Amino acid sequence: MVLEKKGSARVEAGQRRVLDEATRQRRLTRQLDALEKDNFQDDPLSSLPPPGPTARLPAFSETEEPEKKKRKTRGDHFKQRFRKNFTTLLEEENLSERAEPNYLSAAAPPSSLPPRHFCCVCGFPSHYTCTTCGGRYCSSRCLCTHRETRCLKWTL
Amino acid sequence: MATLVLDNGACTAKIGYSHEAVSIIPNCQFRSKTSRLKTFTANQIDEIKDPSGLFFILPFQKGYLVNWDVQRKVWDHLFGKEMFKVDFSDTSIIITEPYFNFSSIQESMTEILFEEYQFQSVLRINAGSLSAHHYFSSQPSELCCLLVDSGFSFTHIAPYCRSKKMKEGIRRVNVGGKLLTNHLKEIISYRQLHVMDETHVINQVKEDVCYVSQHFYKDMKVSQMKGEENTVVRDYVLPDFSSIRKGFCKPPDEMVFSGKYKTGEQILRLANERFAVPEMLFHPSDIGLQETGIPEAIVDSIQSLPEEMQAHFYQNVVLTGGNTLFSGFRERLEAELRSLAPAHLPVSVLQPQNPISYSWEGGKLLAHSPDYDELIVTRDDYEENGHFICEEKFDM
Ligand SMILES: [Zn+2]
Ligand SMILES: [Zn+2]
Repeated sequence: MVLEKKGSARVEAGQRRVLDEATRQRRLTRQLDALEKDNFQDDPLSSLPPPGPTARLPAFSETEEPEKKKRKTRGDHFKQRFRKNFTTLLEEENLSERAEPNYLSAAAPPSSLPPRHFCCVCGFPSHYTCTTCGGRYCSSRCLCTHRETRCLKWTL
Repeated sequence: MATLVLDNGACTAKIGYSHEAVSIIPNCQFRSKTSRLKTFTANQIDEIKDPSGLFFILPFQKGYLVNWDVQRKVWDHLFGKEMFKVDFSDTSIIITEPYFNFSSIQESMTEILFEEYQFQSVLRINAGSLSAHHYFSSQPSELCCLLVDSGFSFTHIAPYCRSKKMKEGIRRVNVGGKLLTNHLKEIISYRQLHVMDETHVINQVKEDVCYVSQHFYKDMKVSQMKGEENTVVRDYVLPDFSSIRKGFCKPPDEMVFSGKYKTGEQILRLANERFAVPEMLFHPSDIGLQETGIPEAIVDSIQSLPEEMQAHFYQNVVLTGGNTLFSGFRERLEAELRSLAPAHLPVSVLQPQNPISYSWEGGKLLAHSPDYDELIVTRDDYEENGHFICEEKFDM
């Protein structure tokens, strides 16, 4: 989850880099996208070692064989349109040209309330902004933790 | 002819015959670390002895059905001999879909139900419409209701005037139970223990310890205090799936505020996490999501509706979906609505006994109502007119 820092986030000689607005926005988008994920770990099935001549398959692999065959015939049966992800489906609906109300127009508008700020380390209300990344912090202790952990490491 | 009612949610399927009781079953497949070659479907999760690191395969994405392979596997299991033993030659189905469901998903749905499973008739309907039917059946004198359906993928605000859905007033807040669990996982992993792979366990933590605060900044202060003055903090004992099958909160009088427990259990200490997580439902902007929370979205919805109806909506706000089960949810929503609504209008937020199965119960009632035959599309209709007849009858 903690990504390697790249060029845009490198600490210059003796001074901290300031992330530009576009980078901050990308970072936020990535954080929000992560909250949509079904899993963070790899599929246990895909992490199995490839079966070699010496690989001992678990006993229930036999019962799983016919399942796999069934899946294949089903795959043939399902035409292309049964295999589209959300983004593709949304684009195909072409909603921006369709009559409202629709999926897009039903989205709740931005809030009219002022934003509230919380320390990105401990979660308590914060009064300070990290000059480097725009993250919030509440105390010098949390700022320290923030700089050592996420401040520049979360950047694309 | 039997009628099967299926509220096909992105996380759980609420399913049962209209003459029986509801069952709530995971609408997904799982793989576990301990038996990696096997895929578990729906309630087979109960066979998994060690669900740590449980891997989820969900048919829905952002609340919409996209993975038909998985959905069919789950339905095969639900309809099959192990569970509902559906006799398709003598069964009709009521099945739910999200608001503004995409047209290609609707077509696939119709096709699969008639052609793959051979149901005798189909009624595709929004879960909210079933909830509205439920509400108006139990409150025959009310003209309007405003549903708040806060589920796994998102939260919808949906106004109904009698059986009519007021589409222009529907609002979607992109905060649901999945986002809350993922956010809780994220902050626990950053602050104390790596739990990013433990969706199943942390979801249970969320259900066991999170609550909706009535005084947010006051609770923030309390949860910062030391020792016994901190009445918010809880220690949660994580399951190890051998001696501890299910996680639980240490009773407050057994809490050790400084130092370690002698018992050697794995503990999560939760303070502001308990109420800051459900707070996303009220203030999505707290995590940078630029949209209104539920109370403001309700006001935005009601203001888009004819003025003479507005008073009725404020008085009949009905809560459905799992997130409304957070302790304090109803009270907080009512208080916030009270302060946002015009002062002369009474505000009343109602929490049904079981907000998760409320729409399923509505489907059950609908199956026995005299209007039912008018609403459905039969096999003959479909064979004669194809998708056209469904577009005519079903208004998503
Ligand atoms: Zn802090
Ligand atoms: Zn920073």
